[in-house]
Amino acid sequence: MDSHRMKELERAADLLRLRAVRMVAPHGFGYLGQALSSAELMAVTFAEAFRPGIDELVVSPGHYIIVAYAAGPELGLLSEESLTSYGHDGSALEAIGTESSPVVDITGGSLGQGLSSAVGLALAAQLRHDTTRRVFALLSDGELEEGQVWEAAMFAAHRGLGNLVVLLDANDSQVDGPVSTITTLEPIAQKWESFGWAAYDVDGHDVAALSIAMADALEQTRPAIVIARTSTSHGLACLPEGADGHFIKISGDLIDAAVAELENRRA
Amino acid sequence: MLNLPPYPTVLKPYGRAFVELARQRDEILCLSGDLTRQTEIDLFQEEFPERFIHAGMAEANMISMAGALARRGFIPFVHTFGVFATRRPLDQIVNCVAYPNLPVRIVGFMPGVSSPGGPSHQAIDDVALMRALPNMTVVDVADATEIRQAVVAIADVPGPVYLRLKRGEIPIIFDRLHEFSLAHAHVVHDGDDVVIFASGMMLSSAMSAAQSLEDVGVSVGVVNVPVIKPLDRATIIETATRARAVVTAENHSIIGGLGSAVAEVLAEEGLARRLRRVGLADTFAEGAQSAAWLFKKYGLSTQDVVDAAWRVLERPGEAPRAPTVATPPGEYAPV
Repeated sequence: MDSHRMKELERAADLLRLRAVRMVAPHGFGYLGQALSSAELMAVTFAEAFRPGIDELVVSPGHYIIVAYAAGPELGLLSEESLTSYGHDGSALEAIGTESSPVVDITGGSLGQGLSSAVGLALAAQLRHDTTRRVFALLSDGELEEGQVWEAAMFAAHRGLGNLVVLLDANDSQVDGPVSTITTLEPIAQKWESFGWAAYDVDGHDVAALSIAMADALEQTRPAIVIARTSTSHGLACLPEGADGHFIKISGDLIDAAVAELENRRA
Repeated sequence: MLNLPPYPTVLKPYGRAFVELARQRDEILCLSGDLTRQTEIDLFQEEFPERFIHAGMAEANMISMAGALARRGFIPFVHTFGVFATRRPLDQIVNCVAYPNLPVRIVGFMPGVSSPGGPSHQAIDDVALMRALPNMTVVDVADATEIRQAVVAIADVPGPVYLRLKRGEIPIIFDRLHEFSLAHAHVVHDGDDVVIFASGMMLSSAMSAAQSLEDVGVSVGVVNVPVIKPLDRATIIETATRARAVVTAENHSIIGGLGSAVAEVLAEEGLARRLRRVGLADTFAEGAQSAAWLFKKYGLSTQDVVDAAWRVLERPGEAPRAPTVATPPGEYAPV
């Protein structure tokens, strides 16, 4: 990947971060860490793989809906000004995704179910002999603790759903702390491979590595997973040490510092 | 007139009706949770293998997938035993089916204590669980005639449906002129001392009990309530108003099912009618080799319906004895 394209993708990722900061700012807290960790993964997906109007997107952990909203304006699915309603009473842009959430095809707040939904969409395309449509499903690593994910993984491989790509934000973060301190998910890639999937284990903040993995994943005739190793504080040096990645508190001067940092980098 | 047991039976009325429907409707899919023959869909699998989906023993995935398939224009019918169709994937039904209000048909076999397979296999709370969910239609039919019509009737319900079905030999209680309705409960027999509201397998018990009571001069209304949600309130109010007391009969816990639904209507209408609920009295059912033994042990026999009506009317002396009906092979009579 040439450096110009890399810079473009990095700026796109930082735009997702910037919009997420602005969505969370009026509330003083929220699911900012999820946007910080998945920004490059989603920027690469939207810029290089996902085709609005053709492909389908499932955001399994509804808390990550913030990053889909943040990409809404570029996808032509949401106005920039509507983002200001994020998380407010009466808004369709609820902080945990619902049926009224724009941008995505399916989301939900009860974790571990999104992959099955994505498998259903991919199966619908397979049953109709539709070889164009692809289904992308954003999952988080904490979700892999839910048994249903593995039910869906087995089924998808059994049915040969090569039109399905999982985007796994492996940010090692869940409510009670680092995932790795709560349960052992590793080896994640080998688990998926042993289930019959193509697995790509990459630095989730490296847009070039993500781009290469994504291109290969799209060529697969079996389901594929891009495992993006990420951090919930990446891209915001101003965040205090040890900020709770699942639910970041951000207010006052910290918001100004975050906006300034991201705008400077994008300039 | 009450059509009394024993009744002739048929095998696989659901499976046959479902195949017939699928012949007319390309968008119908059949999902199986590893109980294909038991849920009568081996017939579908033979005729439409390309629309038959083995989901395996993975009910959570099966339900969530069905929701997504329904979003894309299919009408998925999901099949397993009632316990595995409702209790186990409850959160998936809530989030992937009921909340998005999708046309998934959840077909759960082996209701209540019709299985001697122990509490793990006895769907005694499925109606309660499904009735509590917004958008869900809940159907518990009594016989093969209703099954055939219900399969067609539920096909075009815009939201999700839970269809509760007896497994194995299915009695034919109603003739071909009988009309199943999703909107209306069905007054099987008029009577003004006591009215019995019954669903599913307990309808035949209610009819048999009514005859025993009529024989000793008690006027008994029998109302078949195959659709527990949305409930036909008008028919319940009308028939309960005419009667002095009310009995409900369901092959299910008395908490949250038909009995609760009727009680809610009576209370909300201010209809001061005493009520007895026949069903599992807030207990799990254990220790059986046969379903018949369980129906007796847990108070779901025809005699229990008779006794409930007798007591709720505060009649003096012993309740009449329900007849013991001989059932030749291939025929059915309630316990």
